[in-house]
Amino acid sequence: MSKYFIRLALISAAVMILLYISMQYLDSYTVMILENLGIFIILAVSYNLINGVTGQFSLEPNGFVAIGAYVTALLLLDKNAKLDQFMLSDPSDFILAIHSSFVPALLISGIVASLVAFMLAFAVFRVRGDYLAIVTLGFGFIIRIFAVNQSEYTNGSMGLSGISNEANLMWIGVFVLISITVVLNIVYSKFGRAMKAIRDDEDAAEAIGVDVFKIKTYAFMTSAFFEGVGGGLMASLLTTISPEQFSFMLTFELLIIIVLGGLGSISGSILGTIIVIAGMEWLRFLDEPNFFSDTAHPGLRMVVFSVILILIMLFARKGILGNKELWDIVKVKK
Amino acid sequence: MILQQFFNAISLGSMYALIAIGYTMVYGVLRLINFAHGDIMMVGAFFAFIFFSLSSNFFLAVLLAIVAASVVGALTYKVAYKPLLDKNAPKISLLITAIGVSFFLENLFNMIFGGTPQAFNYPPFFDQTIEISHAIITYSSIVTIVITIFVLCIVLWFLNRTKYGMAIKAIAFDIDTVKLMGINVDFLIVLVFVIGSMLASLGGIFYAISYPSIDPLMGVLVGLKAFAAAVLGGIGSVLGAAIGGFILGFSEVFIVAFFPDLAGYKDAIAFVFLIFILLFRPTGIMGIDFEKQRF
Amino acid sequence: MKKTILTLGISALISTNLLAKDIKIGVVMPLTGAIAGYGQMTKKGIDLAHEMQPTLNNKDKIVLVYVDNAGDKAQTANAVNRLISKDKVVAIIGALTSSNSLVVAPIIKKYHTPTVAPVATNKRVTYANPYMNRACFIDPFQGKVAAKFAVDNLHAKTAVVIIDKSQAYSAGLAKNFIKDYKKRGGKVLKVLFITSGDKDFKAILSSIKAANPDIVYAPLYAPEMALILKQAKTLGIHKQFLAGDGVSDLKTLTGVAKDASNNLMYSDHFNEAAAPTKLSKQFVAKYHQKYNNEQVPSFAANGADSYFIIVNAMNKCKNPADKECVAKNITKTKKLEGVTGYITIPKSGNPTKSAVINQVQDSKAVYKATVNP
Repeated sequence: MSKYFIRLALISAAVMILLYISMQYLDSYTVMILENLGIFIILAVSYNLINGVTGQFSLEPNGFVAIGAYVTALLLLDKNAKLDQFMLSDPSDFILAIHSSFVPALLISGIVASLVAFMLAFAVFRVRGDYLAIVTLGFGFIIRIFAVNQSEYTNGSMGLSGISNEANLMWIGVFVLISITVVLNIVYSKFGRAMKAIRDDEDAAEAIGVDVFKIKTYAFMTSAFFEGVGGGLMASLLTTISPEQFSFMLTFELLIIIVLGGLGSISGSILGTIIVIAGMEWLRFLDEPNFFSDTAHPGLRMVVFSVILILIMLFARKGILGNKELWDIVKVKK
Repeated sequence: MILQQFFNAISLGSMYALIAIGYTMVYGVLRLINFAHGDIMMVGAFFAFIFFSLSSNFFLAVLLAIVAASVVGALTYKVAYKPLLDKNAPKISLLITAIGVSFFLENLFNMIFGGTPQAFNYPPFFDQTIEISHAIITYSSIVTIVITIFVLCIVLWFLNRTKYGMAIKAIAFDIDTVKLMGINVDFLIVLVFVIGSMLASLGGIFYAISYPSIDPLMGVLVGLKAFAAAVLGGIGSVLGAAIGGFILGFSEVFIVAFFPDLAGYKDAIAFVFLIFILLFRPTGIMGIDFEKQRF
Repeated sequence: MKKTILTLGISALISTNLLAKDIKIGVVMPLTGAIAGYGQMTKKGIDLAHEMQPTLNNKDKIVLVYVDNAGDKAQTANAVNRLISKDKVVAIIGALTSSNSLVVAPIIKKYHTPTVAPVATNKRVTYANPYMNRACFIDPFQGKVAAKFAVDNLHAKTAVVIIDKSQAYSAGLAKNFIKDYKKRGGKVLKVLFITSGDKDFKAILSSIKAANPDIVYAPLYAPEMALILKQAKTLGIHKQFLAGDGVSDLKTLTGVAKDASNNLMYSDHFNEAAAPTKLSKQFVAKYHQKYNNEQVPSFAANGADSYFIIVNAMNKCKNPADKECVAKNITKTKKLEGVTGYITIPKSGNPTKSAVINQVQDSKAVYKATVNP
């Protein structure tokens, strides 16, 4: 056990030092990309837990990210900022009263998202397969419509701005490490084995005594927790949020990431995040006049992206790592 | 006033019904939720827009648009779904691919036309109105309603009274046995996609005439709601899809009419229906149990 | 001898050109996406202004670097960061909407990069930020303009207000209108809500018919306004509609609404028929030449003015690449001859501008009046 902790401490320290150096010496554009990367790694790794490891095709991470972002935003803004911003209707007294500092706000965001997941689990896990996907998609939509309409809680579509920018590379790094560690621990524990059993054959798992509903809910709640924290970090990074940012597009991006990396593989999700997020920025050149054409074709980048997804599904369904981890493959090679 | 809303509701319901039928037929034969189906509606509207700007015969433009959209629909099956079905890929892969196709169509049209809504032109004939005791009804609504009912009858007749229709129903029942009997299943599935796409693009064109502002993302929400309607009516049942479509249309119009404060939640109605049905009566109104009946 | 002079002359020219630096101005605009129309309009104005003044007084060449934000917040943040750290721009023009400009503000503040937003009218955009400015009026003013016009010119005693609850612009403008309209003795009969993306407005139009107001104030964007006007005509509702600059994308508005859009009045930043300065008239003429006699959209005029404001500030600096100097000089802009008028920008970053009232007739913006602050 202690060998594990030493290894964990060393890796964490190394990562934090690297991040600190990056913050000092890299330009702000690269740092921003790294910050985005960090947040998406948290989101991808947790989304993979419910989709890839437990095999429940959920389409609602955008809902939990939205919840996390709004809770953090409302907690970080002080009373005056809120009174100033709420345009369509005056904020409710509860909203005015809540306030906290950065880290507690993130944790509360995660907990709230988790609780919502708990409540939804009773409805969502009554169905399976495609229907599960559609029901979760529906809930994701409903959460967003709620955010748009309940303007005394969320300021509606105006969104919230002026959120304090405390999410820097170091803090994001901390939460990336925490989320990966927690998820890895779950996956390699008896819970993780139960989740994989459910993914592989749900009825068989039930037959051998796995409490299917409990395990699914557990995965769902953990997933939601980190998606909420990720949302909170996103709010603090961008300093302004509004409902359109949390549309199905976000879920789609996360889906591409975990499919590309390999459903069920944590290291795959990390790889997938790097490829997709860095790739999206790099592929920007497709939108501008370039080697292939003289005029700008805005939107070409997204077309290429969708084609890539279709091609992956046709020819490399298992993604880069399949459901193995990077260290499994490296070990085998030895 | 009620009469006015009544006609709005039937008009809206018809559009949902047309699109819902396509979803239900594809699900019936392939057990696949074709996420890209809503975008076929958008494709139909855009093709009509393009063809009408090239030739001044609206009727011809609509016909060509429907044909073109059917080709697109059939292609999505051939290129994206069939290879995966042949490899016996897991359902999740098919769903993800469907999402990919949907995004591809949306972004392709976004790249070609830009995201700003285009004005959809059509002959002024559709703007004329008749007045029935204070309710003003446009010719476009009347045309929409009449043609939808007509098309619905044809589809039902096709499925129940023709050889091809029966074969399609058989596929929905047990695809493997049908293959074993030497029937060209592939051709029939393509036919299903073609019919579905024709209906969806027709729905899209009616939508564009009623709300003449088209953009590449117009099919997303309408498509999802049409899917909810199909589930509500009983996924796998064409009549159910139509009924679901009309119920959804009526709910949206009348809830907004009687509770104007809830207007912002209008789009959520479809999803609420969807979730309720899936939780408490997954077979929908027409109660199709896939082990026992079809369509 | 001649050869030596020639060589000397040529090398002098080359060396002054080599010595002349490239000064980069970044532009963050929605060039794709749902509001690309507005972004493209603004771009046309900026490009034309660049053509009219491509170099500084010291012969430094100005280079425009465009980055598309597709109307999205996260992309806006990335775009601004890229312009500042990778392209090393001296100043930025952008973003278009108030929501996206709110994303730009804290970033350019952190990196001390002077910025001018062409048409962002939400008052919070320039709060407590010595580097953030704008080239247009703010919503409190625009709302007042509409209220004043409604009472003084349209003699409207009652109004119904339509708000797009998904747009900060719409809510802000409506709130300001209502406040001022009530102060002037007007009565707001009803406040109705829509959401961007809605297509069917028959329900609220029936409400309007029942309430029977003198005018309908609808500070919306062009796509929704177009459908409302069209459906109003179908339902036989003939009311005077009043809107804000959000409907100034006349191509979209009249394309969809056709003749139902006639008689719509709206507050705006500019109308080419009332070009207030010599530069305006030049700009209008050049615009007609370059863009096929198309009417000059107000967003293009504001885009051009953003450019001129920055260039003017740069010219006042010994080193035009000195961001602090440029930022300071922007807030010292006094009576600069711009396309939309004589521009003065105080420390707040908000210029005092006049508004015009335009009326839509046959797809054109007909000038009706100017309202001064």
